[in-house]
Amino acid sequence: MILLKSEVAANLDGTLPGVHRALQQAIELEHATLPTYLYALYSLKPGKNERIASLMLSVILEEMLHMALACNILNAVGGHPKIDKPNFIPAYPGPLPGGIESNLEVPLSPFSQALIEHVFMVIEEPEDPLQFPVRATALAAGAPLTIGQFYDGIKQCIIELSKKGNIFTGNPSYQLTKGFPSSELRAVHDVKTASTAIDTIVQQGEGTNTSPIDPQHKPAHYYRYAEIFHGKTLVPNTTPPPDFAYAGEAISFDPDGVYPVVTNPALAGYAPKSAAAINNDTFNYTYTSLLRALHIVFNGEPDRLFAAIGLMESLKELAFAMMSAIPAGPTMPGLNAGPSFQYTRTV
Amino acid sequence: MSYLNPLRLHFAGTFQAAPSTVNNDPAHFDNETFLPRYQKYGPGATDGWWNPRGNADFRLIGCKVTAAWQAGKPVSGDSILQCLIADSDTRVAGKLVDLDTEQQMVSEIWGLEVRICTADGSTLVKGRFQPAAFADIWQRVPTGTPDSYYGAMYQSVLVDLHWADVSGSPFLTALKDAASTGRLSIKFNVDGFDDNVTSPTFTQGRIVGTIGPAAADEPAHLVFGRHFLATPQNPLNCCVATVDESAGLVYVDVGNALPTSSAGGPMANLGALSLGYVLPPDASSSSAVLGIDNINYFHLPDQYQPDWYRQTAGVAVLPANRALSPAEIAAVNKYPLALVLTDASGNAKVAISEPSDGLYVRADQFVYRLEPGETAEVKLYATAFGKPLAGATVMNILDSSQLQGQAVSDTGKAPHVATPPGAVNFPCSVVTDSRGIATLPIGTSDPGNPRHYIDGQVYGVRPMLLDTMPPPVGYPFNATEFISILLWSEYKIVSPPTWQSLKPIFQQYANLYPVMDTFLNLADYESVCKHRNLLLLAFGLPVSDPNSMPVTRDLSPAKRAAILQWLEHTGPDGKPLLGTASPTAPTATASKAAETGPPSASMKGGKGAAMARRMVLKRRT
Repeated sequence: MILLKSEVAANLDGTLPGVHRALQQAIELEHATLPTYLYALYSLKPGKNERIASLMLSVILEEMLHMALACNILNAVGGHPKIDKPNFIPAYPGPLPGGIESNLEVPLSPFSQALIEHVFMVIEEPEDPLQFPVRATALAAGAPLTIGQFYDGIKQCIIELSKKGNIFTGNPSYQLTKGFPSSELRAVHDVKTASTAIDTIVQQGEGTNTSPIDPQHKPAHYYRYAEIFHGKTLVPNTTPPPDFAYAGEAISFDPDGVYPVVTNPALAGYAPKSAAAINNDTFNYTYTSLLRALHIVFNGEPDRLFAAIGLMESLKELAFAMMSAIPAGPTMPGLNAGPSFQYTRTV
Repeated sequence: MSYLNPLRLHFAGTFQAAPSTVNNDPAHFDNETFLPRYQKYGPGATDGWWNPRGNADFRLIGCKVTAAWQAGKPVSGDSILQCLIADSDTRVAGKLVDLDTEQQMVSEIWGLEVRICTADGSTLVKGRFQPAAFADIWQRVPTGTPDSYYGAMYQSVLVDLHWADVSGSPFLTALKDAASTGRLSIKFNVDGFDDNVTSPTFTQGRIVGTIGPAAADEPAHLVFGRHFLATPQNPLNCCVATVDESAGLVYVDVGNALPTSSAGGPMANLGALSLGYVLPPDASSSSAVLGIDNINYFHLPDQYQPDWYRQTAGVAVLPANRALSPAEIAAVNKYPLALVLTDASGNAKVAISEPSDGLYVRADQFVYRLEPGETAEVKLYATAFGKPLAGATVMNILDSSQLQGQAVSDTGKAPHVATPPGAVNFPCSVVTDSRGIATLPIGTSDPGNPRHYIDGQVYGVRPMLLDTMPPPVGYPFNATEFISILLWSEYKIVSPPTWQSLKPIFQQYANLYPVMDTFLNLADYESVCKHRNLLLLAFGLPVSDPNSMPVTRDLSPAKRAAILQWLEHTGPDGKPLLGTASPTAPTATASKAAETGPPSASMKGGKGAAMARRMVLKRRT
């Protein structure tokens, strides 16, 4: 389970600037999971492990949705999402941003069951995971905040501040309402819509306290990754309790369906002027361009979303070209290159 | 005016161009005979050729401003000298696109944004590169191999300019003031292309270029100036110059005119290179050339100037240390300009010159995609010794000689080009106005389906000045300067459009662009349905958008409308209509109509193979 350091709570000091800072942290945190999830997804060979790829993609799309929702809330309460900046992308391997109280080192690593168990399920672990079947108990929660508590704190601040006056002073035209199902991505303009947005983020990520199923009738992220880990879908238990069991369709994993890709390419380093370095630079420039495009989208030009989506599609193709065919270099025999996800304004 | 301007910057670096090569072979368009191996790498013109998984990206990489000139003087101490020339940092890369599998010699750049930015990437000015095709392609390395031995150039304008605060740079401030027309002129030379799939720099090549102001009334893709035209005997390629009479200077651009000693390498040492003008009556005699000044690409006898090309992009302003006298200017305005090479023994020869009569005509935009019934209004610019040629008669000729209608190696077939001839129509002559400009309307009608499995037909139209016809023996001529047209077949939308009626279109794209399998299987109904929303967006974008589908810009508007209509209207199952399979269309006629012949281009690169397939080289058997 991810816990935020207690000083993060200091942002939730009951002031509007504090809410702005907390929402900016939320945006960065939602984004920070994407490179590591994408790296693992990209490493899956087309036509192989398709069920796993589909589950991972569904989580990734929701992380993107959560980032968009957090931006909408921040814009609604008069803030300005900052997406185009060098430290927006954390270093991999490394901790997630936002003052994470954890020893978890998040890597860029090709798909493996161990990665699912030791990283992705840890990132997504709810405060009080429902065990189907019972696994080891969650880490004892101390003073630090869970992600859910963090978002709940933001919600409470918004509610309290709204009692004193209107804080929804942002330009309504800045709201992004395209690119995701309209039931999930809605404009934020008052306490009710802000609360709904926060609930969507938390429930899709963690489920609810009583059910692993989110309002869109899908298992929350933790349970989707658990499905991959256990190799079976989560279905209602025919002999409850518990109410659910990993007893549905098989989700088979074919280890041959993963490209042999370098782990943590920034640490490994590509030889200058090698094909790996050249292609990595192109990927990083394109990823940075995506952040710039998203910054524009969430700072007044939501109609530019398609340019950003175009960049996402381009990134997928660039990553595939690297992972499927470009050797990482003579010091990494047998391994292909993967993108290092580093902020690069020039090539 | 144009980039040949006292106010200009030069840049140098690397470009990337990564087109798919499956569509290099016209036979690969035939869904009925397509084989999986056509999507695999194959040496030369075999299987999927040199880059079957190409994504068409065109990028600028590591391009640095290498020099800048203001008021005719070299700029120093200005922050422009630390700047980069980069492509978009908020959109996907530009795209390199052939007009057609049977006209691959006018590859266009679409959707490119060009930025002048600081060394850390902050944009100072950006503009949209108006789509342009390369011109003046030639074999630049005499001893090289295709495609790396080619050189070519692009000239266009940057429009929709957005300026940041450039007050810190006097040069950029002046450029901004000069760009009140809303346009900048840009020209770059490309060579040394790396088509070796095992090389780290695969799909990259050398680029050097120039950016300057663009006048409101000047052509976008053509210097309204003095054109040096090559004959097969000339060691230099076609190039251009302008004369600044008030300053007494000649701007000459030899950036794509000098051969190199290796692909993307130093200029070949041809001896002393000088600009002059040719006194009558014998334009071919070097003794009749009066020199203006030398172009110092070498410290003779043999010391190459490695920075010369990077810092000038091949542009020289001559004479270097004086102005032309009024008498010289009068002579320059009257006699053809020439570039003269003088070897170590002092033997001089004209390496290239303007025609003896100084006449020249060319279309500004020379690549068109047209629907049946659509008319292209082609602007022709005629000059005599660089001055507008008013009242000149321009003859227009249907000329398919440079199109590629011959068979390709191992498939052995290629449909006929430029048939039926009657589907394009235009006046046989037009007359230029007082500005030397004539508008040539090229009208179209449905060509039918003459190529069966390839949509539409390609045509060439060559404008020539009546006064140059018939050309005397040895009269210089740029064979690549003609108007290329892709005329689409009429397409009637089956109502309502269904997957079954559209599948051949999708199947062909799936065959020709294997890289698309990264995103979806274009030949599979379920996969296409799953990506319906994205496809609706991508097919609905203007073709100028770098994300427009298909990347090849070869889908007719009628077929595009059918695809959009099909994607928009879903059936009860929430998916676009599947429809029922129709009887298979006969394809035997396709192979009957196909040109068959012996392998002609098996071990060449893409452009090399296309060069070898030009109709002008067709064997008469």
